Amino acid sequence: MKNFKFLIALWKANLQAAMEFRSAFLTQVIFMMVNNGAYFMFWVLYFDKFKAVQGWTLQDMMLLYGIAATAWGTAAYFFGHFTTLAEVITQGRLDYYLSLPKPVLLHVLASRSIGSGMGDIIYGIGSFIISGYLTADGVLRFAIAVFTGVCIFISFLTIIQSLSFWLGNTVALSQIALSAVLTFSLYPSALFNASTKFVLLTIIPAALIGSVPAEFVRAFTWQSPLQISAGAFVFLLLAVTIFHSGLRKYESGSAIQVEV
Amino acid sequence: MKKYLAIITMQLINNIAYPGDFLGRSISIGIFLFIFAGLWGTTFRIAGTDSINGLTFANMMWYLMMAETIELGRPRTNRIISEQVKNGEVAYILNKPYNFLMYHFSFGVGDSLLRVAMNIGVGLLAAWLLAGPPPSLLGWGMALVTLIGAWILHFCMMALIGLAAFLVEETNSFELIYQKFVFVLGGMLLPLDMFPEWLQGIARALPFPYMMYTPARLFVKPDVELFWQMLGVQWLWVIALVFLLAIAYRGSERVLTVNGG
Repeated sequence: MKNFKFLIALWKANLQAAMEFRSAFLTQVIFMMVNNGAYFMFWVLYFDKFKAVQGWTLQDMMLLYGIAATAWGTAAYFFGHFTTLAEVITQGRLDYYLSLPKPVLLHVLASRSIGSGMGDIIYGIGSFIISGYLTADGVLRFAIAVFTGVCIFISFLTIIQSLSFWLGNTVALSQIALSAVLTFSLYPSALFNASTKFVLLTIIPAALIGSVPAEFVRAFTWQSPLQISAGAFVFLLLAVTIFHSGLRKYESGSAIQVEV
Repeated sequence: MKKYLAIITMQLINNIAYPGDFLGRSISIGIFLFIFAGLWGTTFRIAGTDSINGLTFANMMWYLMMAETIELGRPRTNRIISEQVKNGEVAYILNKPYNFLMYHFSFGVGDSLLRVAMNIGVGLLAAWLLAGPPPSLLGWGMALVTLIGAWILHFCMMALIGLAAFLVEETNSFELIYQKFVFVLGGMLLPLDMFPEWLQGIARALPFPYMMYTPARLFVKPDVELFWQMLGVQWLWVIALVFLLAIAYRGSERVLTVNGG
């Protein structure tokens, strides 16, 4: 409860900071929505020609995009440092967070907000609404799918970026991991063979963010919610454990850092 | 001319200093091709045909390899101009005895050369593994010639977006939208041959296909008549956009506010 209050206070501060540059914030939100819509045009053109691929239709792709975009946007807007944690570690900027009596990982992640994430959230919810799966239990399943997606996005990138504690600068590796998990999450895993699917469920958990949650919303089976919940739990546990064991190795420079 | 060659060389040397970083970034072309091999492999299998709108699976993969190489190798001029406007460095660049746009053109060439080479290397390996041997030498030749015009068109668009920084400072959002126009109407994700007729007509009336579709299509399906036709229209667009850029630059100079530096 105490941590939740702390999170609310951080998010409030982030929102106030964004409102200082209101028009820039709104521009980012609107442009991100247009950007996602333009990217989705590929699938509109594809399904105009082929109608379905491995049982996936245009409506299913709207649902998949809805879940992935909302999960990504929520992670980016509320825990914005999940894409730049490696830089924070290698530049010695953890000093600031270590000196405060708050959970370090939670504090670092939530102390930055990516404004365009709000555009992803709005686009994702809109895409879900027009996908045709908007029913009472559909909304509940969508919310669960987004929640587990947020956990997996943040946890996976935290694990990769925490390697900076041991390997030094892993910014390039983090960029590749980010690109891989984000790109694969936007395609149905039915397109790939069994070994690739296994990779997408474990090492690069993109299928647990896109395909499997989308299947869960399309039709209820016990397998898909169990897969995404177990995935979210295991990745979250790994992320916290690896980050904290890395923290014992952390060495900062003598540079004076100012966190605004 | 010597000074611009020096800028190209300087930027090339800067990039050679971090080959690992460059190689890492090129891996994304492998990820992209792997995903699209899954999508198009499944599509061809379901359709039960070897060729869709004249393109085979191998054509499609090599097309995508060339398109992705162009996308990853295009100049990021708008980001550099935007950064220079924000931190005031633009004042130093404008004072130097070279043309501002030619400076960025040379900088972009130096920046792109290694990136394109690296992307072709990684893309060649990935596409070969996924789809078999590459297209003929004629295809390579036509692609390389039209790549020059495609790169200049990209530069003009990125510089036009970059000049907007003289007014609004942050141009990333404009770049995102421009990138999506190239992705869709330029034929990066889907060759124009797969578009409905009405959309093909719209796309062909715009400069975007000449930045992406032209080199990639000629690469996999070299055709002499089509080559001359596309090359002609591409360079008409180059002339039009260079002219527009020159006018935009003159206008932008008057509204620039320097923040310090």
